[in-house]
Amino acid sequence: MIGDQVWLLFWTLIKIVAIVLPLIIVVAYLTYAERRVIGFMQGRMGPNRVGLFGFKLWGLAQPFADTVKLLLKEIIFPANANKFLFLMAPVITLATAFAAWAVVPFSDGLVLADINAGLVYILAMTSLGVYGVIIAGWASNSKYALLGALRSAAQIVSYEIAMGFALVGVLIASGSLNLSEIVNSQSGGIGSWFFIPLFPLFIIYFISGVAETNRAPFDVAEGESEIVAGFHVEYSGAAFALFFLGEYANMIMISALTAIMFMGGWLSPFTGDSLIAQPSILWFFMKTGFFLLLYLWFRATFPRYRYDQIMRLGWKIFIPITIVWIMVVAVIKVYKPEWIGG
Amino acid sequence: MRPENYQAVPLGDSNEYEIFIGPNHPGIEGNYALKLILDGDTVVKGTTDAGYLHRGFEKLMEGRLWIQNLAIVPRICVPDPAPMEVSYSLAVEEIMGIDAPIRAQWIRVLQLELSRIAAHLFTFGGHAATTGMYTPMYWGVADRDLVLDLFEDFTGGRVYSIYNIPGGVRRELPEGFLEKLSHLLDYLESRQNDYDNLLFTNQIFVQRAKGVGVLSKEDALEYGVTGPNLRACGLAFDVRRDDPYLIYDQLEFDIPTQQKGDAWSRILVRRDELFQSIHILRQVIAKLPSIKGPIRTAIPNPLSWNVPAGEAYARVESSKGELAYYVVSDGGDKPYRVHVRGPSSMHAVQTLEFLAKGARIEDVAQIMFSLDACPPEVDR
Repeated sequence: MIGDQVWLLFWTLIKIVAIVLPLIIVVAYLTYAERRVIGFMQGRMGPNRVGLFGFKLWGLAQPFADTVKLLLKEIIFPANANKFLFLMAPVITLATAFAAWAVVPFSDGLVLADINAGLVYILAMTSLGVYGVIIAGWASNSKYALLGALRSAAQIVSYEIAMGFALVGVLIASGSLNLSEIVNSQSGGIGSWFFIPLFPLFIIYFISGVAETNRAPFDVAEGESEIVAGFHVEYSGAAFALFFLGEYANMIMISALTAIMFMGGWLSPFTGDSLIAQPSILWFFMKTGFFLLLYLWFRATFPRYRYDQIMRLGWKIFIPITIVWIMVVAVIKVYKPEWIGG
Repeated sequence: MRPENYQAVPLGDSNEYEIFIGPNHPGIEGNYALKLILDGDTVVKGTTDAGYLHRGFEKLMEGRLWIQNLAIVPRICVPDPAPMEVSYSLAVEEIMGIDAPIRAQWIRVLQLELSRIAAHLFTFGGHAATTGMYTPMYWGVADRDLVLDLFEDFTGGRVYSIYNIPGGVRRELPEGFLEKLSHLLDYLESRQNDYDNLLFTNQIFVQRAKGVGVLSKEDALEYGVTGPNLRACGLAFDVRRDDPYLIYDQLEFDIPTQQKGDAWSRILVRRDELFQSIHILRQVIAKLPSIKGPIRTAIPNPLSWNVPAGEAYARVESSKGELAYYVVSDGGDKPYRVHVRGPSSMHAVQTLEFLAKGARIEDVAQIMFSLDACPPEVDR
């Protein structure tokens, strides 16, 4: 019996490593893709020099060079900073960003923890991430950082509500909090995916997700032209790298969740028996990649919203729309259940 | 940990606090500093702190020969150097009582308008970058580079062309230059659609820029605001039309204006001006081949060149506003006094302080860039 439990522990650890290691590599290459894609949109090259063994390889070794550089740099503590909190903040950000991945189903049955409260767990983890930002802003003992942290906190809390309401719509439509079951209730080709009946919620969920990860056009927490880099202005070296890792892991997380909740996760858009109609993890990766591309596209073409405009958008537009659409979905669910996946 | 001379600013019981923007800050154009007193997100008081780029240009010019100063003047404003050369040359010509030949005047107009296009392309991008959108900056700088290539072609210098000389211009245009210029203008016009889609119809940018840094016509006149900033307040004042110099009275062009006086009006005026400059350059291309003659009036040996005693005030319309040189000569081989009336000292000091008051902190950088101030010109 003991042997079984030890084996279970080992097996879980192996699965965790099998999720976290590829995730870190994807984060690394997301930064590379971001610089290349935005470089392409802005009419320049992006990183294309750092390679291995004298080969340029289109700059594919750039993320590793950056990582090594960041890890080798000194972590500078600002004067009168609270060192414990200063170091805890990036750890909290990273831990919550990674912990949320525990319930994400990559394919049918390919999930670390297939728990029934998966959706609630994800909301809890992404909400906890705001503590990392607030603590970073407070512990840095810098006005720029504190301003950025306060903005970020208000923004994340506001958009959490719109995001939560959007997910309530998914919950009503699928009748489950388990992410695998949410995907399975969308089976039947592209017409059964939730983004059609829940279209406003789909848009609002993704935009709120962009706001929640502090990315353009909602990056007031880092507002470069006024508070330089916001909450992580005083961070350097490995501590900064953790923030970076957490931010990009969250981006991938939001993209993956949008794919799972609204775009049918690993399901194929086609119906029938052909090879292309089979559910596959590749579909999941393609959908996630599409939303990640949207993130980069936003950053290249949108300016930053002003803080008061962000608040107005969140409270006066998104939340009312989600509330109304939840009612619509509820009514459809009662009277015409076949419209939303049975 | 704190510097020896550090002293906290006494702010009493109020909720106000002080924050520094600059001299090294991503939201600031050049080395320039702002000290803001904030209440929450709102600026209670903004104080500008110029002088980080002070190189004493005006004093330097008193110690150099008349001809040597031509290499100093363009450095006063890096993004738009051509009006500096032309204005200085015009002032010296006025003291000497000579005029540049007609052909030289047309070439000077060509140089001035090309420089205006380069400066405006630069400003669009800077303004967009302060709102967090960097793509127009890269596009603008890339397109400006094509203009700089043309400058290299006909003056030899990309940024500091040092092409003018009192009495004319230094070189004839190279072979086939006007065709190249014509191609560039076609290209820039074809880019209009791209810029409109990316920047001028971008709803988030419109929301960010509208109603920011509103300057009324009365305030603008009181603070000595000129150029596109004044025209954005609804007053169509342009030195090129109201006090014509060179051959601007023979050219046809509109003076774009807007009524609101906010950052959005200012960037729209610049956008329209860019296309007016293209319009002017097309007229120059059509007319220039038919104007023959010398490009320079003979001046004495520059090393022993005494400008007769006298004084002159020559003003031109630069991309930032009215630019003027006041030159006094005591009959020696060096100027007695050169004063630069740069538009930026009006825009970046008093107007910026006035507009920053009551603005949100996010908008301060945008206000500064929308005024298109040029810090080295403030510190001349």
